[in-house]
Amino acid sequence: MSRELMTSGRQVGWGQIGLGLGAAGLGVAAAALLARTTTSSGPPRAPGEPPTVRAGRRLNRAAGVLAAAVLADSAMEHDRGDFKNPAMFAPLAVSALTLVVSAHGLGDPHRGRHRVRHATYVVAAATGGVGTGFHLYNVLKRTGGLDWQNLFYGAPLGAPTAIALSGLLGAAAERVRGTPPGRTPTVLGRPAARLLAALAAVGLVGTTGEAGLLHFRGAFHNPFMLLPVSLPPVAAALTARAAFSPSRSRSRLARLWLRLTALMGFVGPAFHAYGVHRNMGGWSNWRQNLLNGPPLPAPPSFTGLALAGLAALDLLKDHPDA
Amino acid sequence: MWDGEPRANRAAPDDPMRAPRARNGRAPDVFRLGAWTPMREYPESEPVDFAIVGTGAGGGTLACRLAEAGFSVVAFDAGPYWRPLEDFASDEQEQTKLFWTDERIVDGENPLQLGANNSGKSVGGSTVHFAMVSLRFRPEWFKSRTLLGYGADWPLDWREMWDYYTEVEQALKIAGPVTYPWGPKRPRYPYREHELNAAAKVLARGAEALGISWAPTPLATVSAPRGASPPCVYRGFCTLGCSTNAKQSVLVTWLPRALRAGAEVRDLAMVGRIETDAAGLASGVHYHREGQWRFQKARNVVVAGYAIETPRLLLMSANERYPGGLANSSGLVGRYLTVQGNQACWGVMDEEIRSYKGPPSLAITEHWNYEDRGKDFFGGYSYMSQGPLPVLWAGVQAGARGLWGEALMDEMQRYNHSVGLKVVSEYMPQERNRVTLADEKDALGLPIARVTYSWCDNDKRVNRHALGFMRKALEAAGAREIWDQEDDTCHLNGTARMGDDPRTSVVNGDCRSWDIPNLWICDGSVFPTVGGANPSLTIQAIACRTADRIRALARRGDL
Repeated sequence: MSRELMTSGRQVGWGQIGLGLGAAGLGVAAAALLARTTTSSGPPRAPGEPPTVRAGRRLNRAAGVLAAAVLADSAMEHDRGDFKNPAMFAPLAVSALTLVVSAHGLGDPHRGRHRVRHATYVVAAATGGVGTGFHLYNVLKRTGGLDWQNLFYGAPLGAPTAIALSGLLGAAAERVRGTPPGRTPTVLGRPAARLLAALAAVGLVGTTGEAGLLHFRGAFHNPFMLLPVSLPPVAAALTARAAFSPSRSRSRLARLWLRLTALMGFVGPAFHAYGVHRNMGGWSNWRQNLLNGPPLPAPPSFTGLALAGLAALDLLKDHPDA
Repeated sequence: MWDGEPRANRAAPDDPMRAPRARNGRAPDVFRLGAWTPMREYPESEPVDFAIVGTGAGGGTLACRLAEAGFSVVAFDAGPYWRPLEDFASDEQEQTKLFWTDERIVDGENPLQLGANNSGKSVGGSTVHFAMVSLRFRPEWFKSRTLLGYGADWPLDWREMWDYYTEVEQALKIAGPVTYPWGPKRPRYPYREHELNAAAKVLARGAEALGISWAPTPLATVSAPRGASPPCVYRGFCTLGCSTNAKQSVLVTWLPRALRAGAEVRDLAMVGRIETDAAGLASGVHYHREGQWRFQKARNVVVAGYAIETPRLLLMSANERYPGGLANSSGLVGRYLTVQGNQACWGVMDEEIRSYKGPPSLAITEHWNYEDRGKDFFGGYSYMSQGPLPVLWAGVQAGARGLWGEALMDEMQRYNHSVGLKVVSEYMPQERNRVTLADEKDALGLPIARVTYSWCDNDKRVNRHALGFMRKALEAAGAREIWDQEDDTCHLNGTARMGDDPRTSVVNGDCRSWDIPNLWICDGSVFPTVGGANPSLTIQAIACRTADRIRALARRGDL
């Protein structure tokens, strides 16, 4: 019997707040340490590796991070939706494939476009487009149509864009790799680095919209929920500025902010794990609360896009006219 | 902390219905199993600044705000001090323990059904089992006599009330729509609207078909974590006690704050009489606790027992100086009891509805509260989607509809397809509707309340209009086999109305009685009119205002 259990009566005690802040600090520190070896240096550069191959591999990695997030997120959310429509299996299959080819691409030191990888990425991009259509249809057919209720609780409009972005980044990776030596890498006839920087920036802004919508649904009840709506748009703006009017200092600031964004996406699941804990029953009721609480796999989408932005800026450094 | 199984299902280590929990310097920590939180205690022999009778929407809120303002406060409640996590079961019968079901006599042409739907006996009052619907009054209702031609004017300004509504909405973290379709601009609700269940979508479809606005209902249950409250899990037992603490009742919002600010709560403490001294001022309360009558001295007494127990206590406290009961020189204590219509239209849908999922009233239309054209009656009404639980539903089918045997069994088979709309409508204040004392006595030897109620023609007209309109809405949404439930009412107000004139009201705008300056009344009893909206938010807003007024009066030495 717990008769002697006396509390302050406060719902959230100072101890808990301290513990939370401490855990968050540790998470950031751990991520920073990890980031030193991953985000800042990228895949180890093989001796004599051409910049286009290096950029390609880094874009493969960015596409893979996005695909991994989509795989986990769509698996959980579509399971929650009971796979009511067989099409709900599509993003699982496509993102799994995309993840596999991205891993392959990351480890592939060869110059030249890989046909299977490229085709997979194109399918992923198309899947994202079709998925957005499905989600829009789901929202619009609900009573009330395009209102807050359905934006909050219908199929998330922005979610399929993540697999589309993964596909686009991956396809671009393959084209950059296929650039003959001495030529400026292009995608669809445009300078590749700038196009990719723009894509990453647009993706960051879109993902911010998605996070903003869902965090608004959560009433920003935790101040940390403001981070994913404040850091990424700045990163997006700085990336775009650095890409279109490059200067060394602008590029450095953009890189810094992109790394911050990548870190944030990396640490995000820890915050979401805390959010799961705050649902009724916490982690001991994980089967319900993983679906009910904040989605664990969602934040790394920011990491994927930030990595793509970094790859684009690096490519720009090596190919100032790209 | 969470072990899934309400402790009510096991051998209870302490029974909050038999022995008080708030004593020996501690009160239950409502957020943790078996836990306690420190509570200041005041001696009975020393007068406290405020003795508050009742800890519901009026008394609990006021206790918090007065304690936070630095006053010494003891709040009494006849009910038990629950820890929802361990005391609330998913069992409709068990949870009737939340209702005030003491014996009362009802009469009149339309006798009220008392208990489940309109009164609670718990620390936290009926907010422990209310449906959490948190609406603001239409501004014109505060001057309905002048602006709308019926009822009585309130001595309050709607713009001032608007600010207090905001305070309460913040204190309860009301989850409401991003934009509210009716009335003047209001700040955004602190939390977002909940996901609609199928029953709410039926209301929405009906409203859209008839061309009127609807909205997700502003509710006092959180849609995101808040302190130790997890977001609502849509268990659907809201009106029988929320076992997760998602519901922002007085028990889990104002009262923990009150305790931290130094208020004392006395549970299982039934106040039976207010004492007055030689000067005619209130001097304390007699209350029954742990088997004996006791007396607490107080410099001020606040009565907040809701519209039956409040006049009952004032009338029971009659003495030589006040033979008609306390604060009753106008003769209006107990008069103008005003409830709200709670008729419903029910039907059957082809698809599954399962209306028991989630809070019962997730969607609302206040169209007829704000639209005055096309009415053949004074006042207004809102209507909401419904989610009756099975035992209640069987009771409605057997009672209101008269089904029994095979017919009842067949109807219950369609429970998951049933859907309904229920009104909260404005009844007219009538002097003849009243609470008096019967000759019969209760277990403590106190005279029981006699509650007399009759509808006037306007009440009948609003019933007809609402039932007719809801029927059209249900039909438009695709329901069939529609039938009307005509007998229900909800909420109790008006038996100690506020006003500007001591001859026609019991208290002034500050909830201070005209006759006895240190006797206050702070609950739904002070409503001169009731509007077509659930009263809890307004009661709490009035309590906040009263606290501010008391502080201001005290500062200038007018207390």
